[in-house]
Amino acid sequence: MTAISLTVNGRRQSAEVEPRTHLADFLREDLLLTGTHLGCEHGVCGACTLMVDGRPVRSCLTFAASCDGAEVQTVEGFEDDPLMTRLRDAFSRHHALQCGYCTPGMLATAYDIVRRLPEADEPRIREELAGNLCRCTGYAGIVAAIAEVLADPLTAPLQPRERPALSAAENGPQPPAAATASARPAATSFATTLPIPERIDGGVTLERRLSLDIAPQALWTLLEDFQAVVACLPGASLESVPEGPGEPVTGSFTVAIGPMRAQFRGRALVAYDEVRRTGLVRGTGGDPVSRSQAEGQMRFAVEAGADTAGSVLVVALVYRLKGPLSQFGRPAIVADVVDRLLARFADNLAALAEGRGPVHAAPMSGFGLIFETISMRVQKLLARLRG
Amino acid sequence: MKPAPFAYVAAASAADARRHLGAGGVSAKILAGGQSLGPMLNLRLARPSHLVDVTRAGDLRTVTDEGDALLYGAAIRHAEFEDGDVADATPGWLAAIARGIAYRAVRNRGTIGGSLAHADPAADWVVTLTALGAEVVIAGENAARTLPMTGFVQGPLATALEPGEVITGIRIAKRGSSARWGYWKFTQKAGEFAKASAAVLIDLERGETRIVVGAIERAPIVLDDPEAVLADPDIALPLLERLTAPNPPATLALHAAAVRRACLAAAKDEDMPS
Repeated sequence: MTAISLTVNGRRQSAEVEPRTHLADFLREDLLLTGTHLGCEHGVCGACTLMVDGRPVRSCLTFAASCDGAEVQTVEGFEDDPLMTRLRDAFSRHHALQCGYCTPGMLATAYDIVRRLPEADEPRIREELAGNLCRCTGYAGIVAAIAEVLADPLTAPLQPRERPALSAAENGPQPPAAATASARPAATSFATTLPIPERIDGGVTLERRLSLDIAPQALWTLLEDFQAVVACLPGASLESVPEGPGEPVTGSFTVAIGPMRAQFRGRALVAYDEVRRTGLVRGTGGDPVSRSQAEGQMRFAVEAGADTAGSVLVVALVYRLKGPLSQFGRPAIVADVVDRLLARFADNLAALAEGRGPVHAAPMSGFGLIFETISMRVQKLLARLRG
Repeated sequence: MKPAPFAYVAAASAADARRHLGAGGVSAKILAGGQSLGPMLNLRLARPSHLVDVTRAGDLRTVTDEGDALLYGAAIRHAEFEDGDVADATPGWLAAIARGIAYRAVRNRGTIGGSLAHADPAADWVVTLTALGAEVVIAGENAARTLPMTGFVQGPLATALEPGEVITGIRIAKRGSSARWGYWKFTQKAGEFAKASAAVLIDLERGETRIVVGAIERAPIVLDDPEAVLADPDIALPLLERLTAPNPPATLALHAAAVRRACLAAAKDEDMPS
């Protein structure tokens, strides 16, 4: 627990808070100030916007523990504020709300616009409102209400202030207390019961060509050794091999991208065409900790390289991420993860071809979420290779 | 949607932060505004054991005039650049860039050092500071070290920071009034992550011309022959086709458009809003 002392709507408050408690939860659950609304809780919707030290902030992305010494003003604290009174009246007149869910955040942003940008025209008001989502009324009334107040400006009683920097003496030399161990829950089997999709509609596609210094036939032979191929994929592990033709393989893939880490478990069907030296892996997996899922398919083909000795491994992915991870799994980031994974995979394949062990064994760090998706596909590929 | 438990400590200085980071072990993280880390924590995609908050560390909140350059403390917030609360090393470019970062409520907490440490390839500071030839000052085990942006950002969400190291500042060379700048990014909605972005610097006084392409699947690309692209921005498309991983034609065209428009903006000596 962290001891904090702060001012909320003009009243001094002292409390012990859990470090992970964000400001909105502290206000709503501990102080019962439920005027602050929580929408997305990851900084996108703006519903929880309120004033800390006179500036609008996302209270879902502000930890209560970081507010020691702060002056917090919620929608309840503007009762007697003449500028906010004028904004409230204008919101009513212009029908700037229906359900009212976004309104506390809208008012905080509106207050900031009027105070900070007295010259704002309609485009600027709309630009400044981009971080506050309304899903029922529409923005016309909100913009009109703000424009009306801007036309007849009033000095804002609430002004920004700067909290003093911490001094070493004040903070003391104590090392941080150890956090309660946040052990990952044991992997559950839900991921391995997800249905494997027949096709991926609306997925992201990605194609890569990997040049290898291995003859095509030798590469194909390597790829046929399913377990060896999995071993070439950093972060991948195999849990079971197909029990019969048309049966899926199961396995997991661990990836880390930036501060994020996930372990996807799942199943894949693998099929391959020895004559054409092509294959198809199709599968799905999930990470119970991040509550995210990935599904996808990977086509692969071994082709002759530009020079007669080498070959090209063509990999075409279609994937779709669902759940929290998809918030961060932008295609460009996934592409980087795939590229790094493929580069390591190629190194390991080359080492294998020369009779050496894998060069890269640890899960990829530095790329993660998306990586797992890819790894799933790769696993599938491997499975497919094995046949 | 609550983060997994972690220990929290507010550092009073960069040295203090490094000490706490060391004591926290391998899964300790710096919290430098938390506008990108926060969502990952809330969604439990990131589960650090310790968070070391540097936003009130005095020595990370100062600006030092080094004559030829300004050294910005890592914990200076985007809104402070936007509002001119800190001196601008450029003729107003930093303020314009800061204004385009996410939303005001995010800019009131997000910091320049936090943005660089997060190293999102679509981040405005990552692209801008690469184009400006900025340097990242890092405090580590023994001494401070300085890396150019091109050596610091290694890929999406990947940097050269070693465990236990802390970004203390960003050194940005001063630009005279004859220097020109262009920046253009594509977002479907104001404030969201860019799907394509580019920055152009033309500083004949200092002999620097740079074109940087961002929001791609790797660290920002610094084009080899910026003069040729400025002379004929249409060569950006075939150039990018060669320099980037295979991309769908529409994606590639968007990146090329970003380069063309940033070149245009620089030629007109004004920033084009996204």
